[in-house]
Order: sequence, then C-alpha cells, then structure tokens
Amino acid sequence: MAGLLVLGANQVALGDMLFILVSFIVLALLVKHFAWGPVTKMMDARSEKITGDLDYADQERTRAEKLAKEREDALKNSRAEAVEIVNKAKESGETQKKSIVSDAHSEAEELRQRAKSDAAKAREDAMSGAQNDIANLSLEIASKVISKELNADDQKSLIDSYIKELTVNETK
Amino acid sequence: MDDKYKFIEFLGLRFNVANDLSVLVSAVLVFILVFALSRKVTMRPGKAQNVLEWMIDFTNGIVKSAMPDGSGKQFNLYAFVLFLFIFVSNQLGLFFQLKVGGFTYVKSPTSNPLITMGLATISLLISHYYAVKKFGFGGYLSNYARPVKFLLPINLLEEFTNFLTLSLRLYGNIFAGEVLLALIGTVAKSLGAVTFVAAMPLAMVWQGFSVFIGAIQAYVFTTLSMVYISRKLEQE
Repeated sequence: MAGLLVLGANQVALGDMLFILVSFIVLALLVKHFAWGPVTKMMDARSEKITGDLDYADQERTRAEKLAKEREDALKNSRAEAVEIVNKAKESGETQKKSIVSDAHSEAEELRQRAKSDAAKAREDAMSGAQNDIANLSLEIASKVISKELNADDQKSLIDSYIKELTVNETK
Repeated sequence: MDDKYKFIEFLGLRFNVANDLSVLVSAVLVFILVFALSRKVTMRPGKAQNVLEWMIDFTNGIVKSAMPDGSGKQFNLYAFVLFLFIFVSNQLGLFFQLKVGGFTYVKSPTSNPLITMGLATISLLISHYYAVKKFGFGGYLSNYARPVKFLLPINLLEEFTNFLTLSLRLYGNIFAGEVLLALIGTVAKSLGAVTFVAAMPLAMVWQGFSVFIGAIQAYVFTTLSMVYISRKLEQE
C-alpha cells in the first residue's frame, strides 16, 4: 500500500486520475441534463411565482383597505345625514305645531270677540226697542187714564225723563 | 490493507481496475439517485422532488457561504455533483466491497489517494481556469505577487499545499476508516465465536461513525473547493 503513495513507483496507476476526470465530467453533464436543469428551472420559476403572488396579494390588500375605508366613510356620512333629516323633520313639526296652535288661538279669540260684540249689539237693539215700546205703551196707558189732561208731547217728555232716570239707576 | 489489485495497461497508462470500477459504480449510483428523484418535476413538488431540492439548496448554501455576492452561481452544479459523488463514494466501501479470487474490485474509491488527487485536480483546474477568465492571463499571474511581492514563493507553495491537503485529507479519513474496519474484521476472525461476538458491536459502531465521517468529509471537500475557487477569483 505504501507504494501507492510514492509517485513513480511501479504500482502507481496514473490512468485512474484520467479515469475519474472523465467519469466526473460525464456524470456532471448527465446530472445537468436529466436533473439539475429541470429542477433548478422549476425552482426559479417557483420563486418568481411566489414573488409575483406576494406582490399581487399586497396590491389586492391595499385595494381592499381603500374600498373598506370608502365604505366606512359613506356609512358615516349617511348616518350623519339621517340624523340631520330627523332633526329637520322634528324642527319643522315643531314649528308647524306652534303655528297651528297659534292660529287656533287667534281664531278662537276672534270668534269670542265677534260673539261678544254681537251680544252687545243685540242687547242695545233690544234696549232701545224696549225703550220706545215702553214709552209708547205708557203714553197710551196714561192718555187712556187721564185722557186729554195732558197733551201728548208734555206727557212724552215727562215719561222720557222718568225712563232716563230709570236707565241711569239701572246702569248704576 | 494487504489488498491485491488488478492492473490494466492501456495507451501507456496503468489503470487500477478496483479504483476505476468503484468510481464507475459511485457515478452510476449518484446518477440513478438523482435521476430517480427528478422524474416528476412540478411547480408543487412531490416527496422526491423535495428531497432533491433540499440537496440542491444545501450545496447552493455551501457555494453561497464561500461567495456571498452571488458570483458563485456558475459553480452550483459543480458543488452539487462533487458533494453527491464524494458522499456516495465514501459510503460505498462501508456497505459494498467486492473481492473475487483475492483481488479487490469494488471499494470506496476515495480511499485511494490517486482518486482524491483527481478530484482535487478538477477543483483546482476550475479555480485557475476561472481566474484566468476573469483577470486575463497577465492579471492571473500578477495575483501571485499580491498583496506584496515577497509573498510570491509562499503563494506558489500554497498552490501545492492546497492540492495536497485537499486530496490527502479526504483520502486519509476514508482510508483510515476502511483500515480500522478491516482490523476489526481480523479481530472477529482471530479466535472464533468469542471474538466474533465481541467485534460485532465494535464494527457496527465504527461503521456508523464512518458514515458520519464520510458525510463530513464530503461537506469539507466541497466547502474547501469553493473557498479555493473564491480565493482565486478575488484580488487582495
């Protein structure tokens, strides 16, 4: 065995070095053609695909985030709008109510006033009618009682004075 | 140990049949392994493809640790084949030794210094070739006088020590493993049944350890090859 270590000894087979050189190169070429080539190609393709997929996922996520934000904003806006609408409706209802009530008040007041004045007028009319009637009646009565002792005009003024006193007393 | 080998003379060169047959068997085994694992290459890898990709990633990692700037991509294939070939060669002699008529025909090819020197020659040739390709022949020569001129003899000497340490480290480890295995075998046969039983666990332990050593040495050889190549490819 020691002879193998001494170059130039008769036992040394330098052809082995040539043999391993050739066989190693052939092996490398075969491995490259049958396994290394396809597998590394596939590995590269996969890493490329993964990078692409990651990029795509990032893109999609930002897009989704944007959309969600937009939707949220829209929702918030619509809520505020709804509140505004309700408030407006409440306000207008309030003013309408107020105006209806005040209208009713004023109408009722007018009605009352009219009724009051009507009543006063009717009383006045009745009073003056009664005054005349009473004067004529009492004149007739008096003329019938004392017939021509007094003329009609004197009698009338006398009676009017009485009645005036009467009304003054009454108003007192 | 005291193995006998058959020699063939061809074109004025001597060929050791055992070495060449073992190299051939290792190469065929590596090819069958890689070929079987790469049959269905798909985007979603199956079990076999996963194993192969794991091995490729492993050797790519070795190249990348020696050449971190990504310039080593062209050596990925070389590192892969080198690692697998040395690994299979180291294990071959542990499981499969063929002796016919007193002549050894198949053993670990890496337990012979000429084979490991052949492998080291390939590595160093690659390193010199790519250095000349990168710097030109003049630049390649001037790299021997860098970083300072008086280091020229040391740099020249280093080429030889690199070659010798790279090849003899692998040879020594595997050869020693086989020698010890053969010694344990002789012990087993020496005193009949008693020593046979005693030597059995010893042989098993040493075989397991040799598997480990074989893997480590394949890794070391590939790593150092890449380191030598990367050293040739940078200017100090």
